[in-house]
Amino acid sequence: MNTTRLIAIVLLIIVVGLPMAAGTYWVGLVTQIFIFGLLALAVDLLLGHAGLFSLCHAAFFAVAAYTTSILQVRYGVSTQWAVPAGLLAGTSLGLLFGLSVRTRGVYFILVTMAMGYIIWGVGYRWSAFTGGDSGITNVPAPMVSGFQISTAEQFYYVVLAVLLVVLALYQKLVRSPFGLVLRGIKSGEPRMRSLGFNPARHLYVAFVISAFMASLAGVLYVYHNRFINPVAASLHVNMEAVLMAIVGGSGTLLGPFIGAALVLGLRNWVSSFFEFHLAVMGLVFIAVVIWAPGGVIGLLRRYSSGKEK
Amino acid sequence: MNQFALSLQSVVKMFGGVRAVDGVSLQVAPGERRVVIGPNGAGKTSLFHCISGVIRPTSGVIQCFGEDITQLSEPQRTQKGVGRTFQISSVFAELTVLENVALAVLGIRQQKWGMWSAVNQLKGLREKAAEQLALVGLPGKEEVMVKSLSYGERRQLELVLALVNGPKLLLLDEPCAGLSPSERQRLFSIIKNLPRSITMLMIEHDMDIALALADRVTVLHRGEMILEGSAQEVRQNPQVREVYFGQV
Repeated sequence: MNTTRLIAIVLLIIVVGLPMAAGTYWVGLVTQIFIFGLLALAVDLLLGHAGLFSLCHAAFFAVAAYTTSILQVRYGVSTQWAVPAGLLAGTSLGLLFGLSVRTRGVYFILVTMAMGYIIWGVGYRWSAFTGGDSGITNVPAPMVSGFQISTAEQFYYVVLAVLLVVLALYQKLVRSPFGLVLRGIKSGEPRMRSLGFNPARHLYVAFVISAFMASLAGVLYVYHNRFINPVAASLHVNMEAVLMAIVGGSGTLLGPFIGAALVLGLRNWVSSFFEFHLAVMGLVFIAVVIWAPGGVIGLLRRYSSGKEK
Repeated sequence: MNQFALSLQSVVKMFGGVRAVDGVSLQVAPGERRVVIGPNGAGKTSLFHCISGVIRPTSGVIQCFGEDITQLSEPQRTQKGVGRTFQISSVFAELTVLENVALAVLGIRQQKWGMWSAVNQLKGLREKAAEQLALVGLPGKEEVMVKSLSYGERRQLELVLALVNGPKLLLLDEPCAGLSPSERQRLFSIIKNLPRSITMLMIEHDMDIALALADRVTVLHRGEMILEGSAQEVRQNPQVREVYFGQV
C-alpha cells in the first residue's frame, strides 16, 4: 500500500515538473498521451470493468471535437460555451448509441463498430458541414475568462488538472457499489439477474458515463491539435484506444495511460525509420495478448508478488 | 385468495416441439419443504426456471403468496422475495467472498446505483457477511478470492448469496451436486436447520437426502407430474420405482 502511494507521489512530481525539464516536443507528446490515455480509460470502463468491448468511442471523441471546433471556428462561440456544447453533443450521442448494451459479445462489437462507421462516414461525406477530408482547421487556442491558454506548457497543465480530477472521480466510481455491479456483470451476468439486478440498466449508465469521458478527451484533443478531420472517428482510433487499455493493463487506473505512452511513443519512434509501423503495432498487440494478458500493470504485479514470496 | 407460498396452475413450457414442462400444477404451503425429484430430462430445472423467471412459461399461471408473478422478470421476482441457487455453481469467481456477498445484498436495494461512497463503507455489510458466512461454515473467508475456494466452499457461498436477503421462497437446484459425501452431509444439515420462515423448493437427485428433508415430494417424469405425496408414499409407489429407480 505504501509503495503504491510512493509511486503515485513520484509520478505526480514527474508530470508536474516535466515542462520545466523537457522541451516543447516532449510536452506535446505527453499531452497527447494524457488525452489518448483518457480516451482509453473511457473505453476501459466498459472493457475492463463491465466486460464490453466497444468499437465506437472514437465517435463520441470526434463528435465532441467537431461540435466544439465548428462552434468556435465558424460561429465564433467562446470556449466556455463551445466546450460544454461539445461535451453535451458527444454524451447525447452516447445516450443513443448506449442502446447497444442490449446486445452482448461479438454482436456488441459489431453493432458498436457499425455505429462508429456511421459517424466516420458522416464526417467524411457531409463536407459542407464538416469540411470533409480536410476537416476543421485553424481552431484557436482556448480562452477562459479573458485568459488565453496559448503555449504548449499552459495547455499541458490544463489537461493535467482535468485528468487528475477525472482520475479521482473514476477511482471513486470503480470502488463504489456501481463499480462492483459492473464487475459482477462481467463475472456472471445470469447470476446478477437472479440477485435482483437488471444488468442492461447498469451497463447503459456505464456506457453514457464512458461516452462523456470520451467526449472530454475529444474536446481536449481539438484544442491540442487545433485541427480535426474524420480520421479521429475512424476504426483505427477505436482499435488504438482498445490496444492502449489492453497493453497497459485493462481494469486498472493507470494502465490505459501506460498503454497510451507505449503505443504513441512506439509509433513516433518506429515511424521515424520504418514505413510499416502499423505492422509493428500489430505484433506488439499479439505479443501482449499471448504473453502478458494483464498488460504492463499485470506484468509488474506478477513480478512484485513473485518477489515477496 | 389462496394463501399458498407458491402455486402453479397448468404450467407448460415448450421448447420448439418439446413439452419440457407439461401442465404442472402444484401448491406449496408457507414454511413447507418440498422436494422435486425425477429422472434426467424430467423437466425439473425447466420448471425451476419458470418459477424464478429465467424463462417465461408458454402457458399457465404462477402465484407467489397469492400474487400473480407469471409476467414478472427475474430481477422483479427477486425483489418479491424469491431466492435461488443454481445447479452449476455460479458465484463470481473473479471477486472476493465479501464482494460476492455485497452484490447479493445490493441486488434488491437502491444503493446498487451508488457511485460516491466505496463498497466497503456500506452500512452493516461486514456484520451481515460475517454472520451469514459463519452460518454456512465459511467464517473469516471475506477477503479470499472465490476462484481459490474449493468446490464445496463455492457451493456454500452459493447458498449464502441466496439467503442473505432473507427470501420468503427459496429455490435450491441440486445444492449438493458434485460434493463429497462429507461435504454433502454438512451442506444438507445447514439447509435442514434453516428457519421455517423460508418456504423451500428443492431439486435433488440423492434420494436419501431428498426424502430426509422433504415434507412432501413431487415426482416429475417427462415434464408431467406423476405423483405428489409424503416421502413414505413416494418411496413405496410402484410407478415412481419404475420411472425413477429404473425397475420394471
